[in-house]
Amino acid sequence: MSESESHSYVKYSTIFFALCICTVLSIIFDVLDLKDKDVAGIQGFVLLAFLVLAVACAKALFVLIYFMHLKFEGKWKYVLLSPTIILAMGLTIAMTPDIGIHYYTNESPQIDYLKQAQQASSEENSANKAENSHVK
Amino acid sequence: MGLPIPHSKLGMWLFLATEIMFFSAFIGAYIVLRAGSPGWPTDAKVTHIHVWAGGLNTFVLILSSYFVVIALEGMKAENFAKARRYLCLTLLLACVFLSIKAYEYSGKFEHDILPGHIPETPQMAIDKSMREMKQVVDNRTIALANTKLPEKAEPTNPEETVELSGVTDEKTKEIETPVEELRKQLQTEVEAPDTSAARKKELTTYFALETKYRGLNKRALDESITMPEMNQELETLKKNPEYGAFLAPVHHLQPIIYGNLFASVYFLLTGFHALHVVIGMLLFLIVLVRGKRLCKKWNDYVENIGLYWHFVDLVWIFLFPLIYIL
Repeated sequence: MSESESHSYVKYSTIFFALCICTVLSIIFDVLDLKDKDVAGIQGFVLLAFLVLAVACAKALFVLIYFMHLKFEGKWKYVLLSPTIILAMGLTIAMTPDIGIHYYTNESPQIDYLKQAQQASSEENSANKAENSHVK
Repeated sequence: MGLPIPHSKLGMWLFLATEIMFFSAFIGAYIVLRAGSPGWPTDAKVTHIHVWAGGLNTFVLILSSYFVVIALEGMKAENFAKARRYLCLTLLLACVFLSIKAYEYSGKFEHDILPGHIPETPQMAIDKSMREMKQVVDNRTIALANTKLPEKAEPTNPEETVELSGVTDEKTKEIETPVEELRKQLQTEVEAPDTSAARKKELTTYFALETKYRGLNKRALDESITMPEMNQELETLKKNPEYGAFLAPVHHLQPIIYGNLFASVYFLLTGFHALHVVIGMLLFLIVLVRGKRLCKKWNDYVENIGLYWHFVDLVWIFLFPLIYIL
């Protein structure tokens, strides 16, 4: 009894450290500032999203399997959790075509303003560049 | 027959299954809305979302989850003092989590990053600043009239006038009249020879502010002022030694594209999560008030609230990258 107890005790702390390392990893990904970069042909934002969500899934699995003891539970866990998770993902996927990906031209004052702001900033950038080259 | 686990545990797992659906509806809606809104606010200077706060909170929740499993282990080994100690620590960490959350929320309130309060274009930002300035001026009108004529200020409802400012049709004119009347009274008072010097100074300061407001509002309505210019003007006015202090409620103009949607989603997700944290704290308190009477009978209870607490941690594990990093 005492042996198995100390065994699981060590395991819990290992899981805890693994979770901490995962959190630090996510923060490192944030600090790397991948958003506006292009890494090996993949859009930075997509890469960042993939990385941090993969880390989040790993953390979630650690918590579910060890802290919530799913590793030691019977087959009922699949019956209970798989429909929920499938439905949860299905809900998001079902909403995507109409809201996430517009099949129609997306018109709103926000987008107009965004276009204006982007144009202004690109003009400013090119002006800055011209100025810098002039200084050099 | 039946599952080889306690009924209470099966109940808790079923409840957690519904909770997964509950949160995934919100998280899914957030992902989809976000994907469909180009220019979603991510700049920390604009959204006041700090990765360090989210990261710290993640660590706090992970540590508390770890403490909960240790507490359960203590329960199973009949080491109830240890169980109590770790449950106490968990409760403490939950308090830390909520404190950091409260700090973050207060930042949002301070910058008025609230659903429905955020201007999304420069014109909206200018309109908002004029509305806020009108409120300041109106409140000042009422305050000044009140000190002299308390009975006459009664019929004016400041909220009503503020809500309808900017729109001038027949209806709003009727409602705005009381403030307008008060202003005229103050005008006659300042011109009257028997007004004391102190009062006169107060009134001239008020009229200086009022004139500034009228000037700016006119330019705003003509659309002859740009947002940076308006920010400049307001900064200068705020530095004025006489009436600058009154202008504190007028926010710095900062349009945020999709800011209202962002704020709604942010408060919805983190708010419901925080609510779960509070409920978890109550569940921990229920067992902690047993004090030294804690015994084997509570094993299942501690295991179940542990499951609940891990779920709260789980939700945060997804909220942290989705809200703070992406």
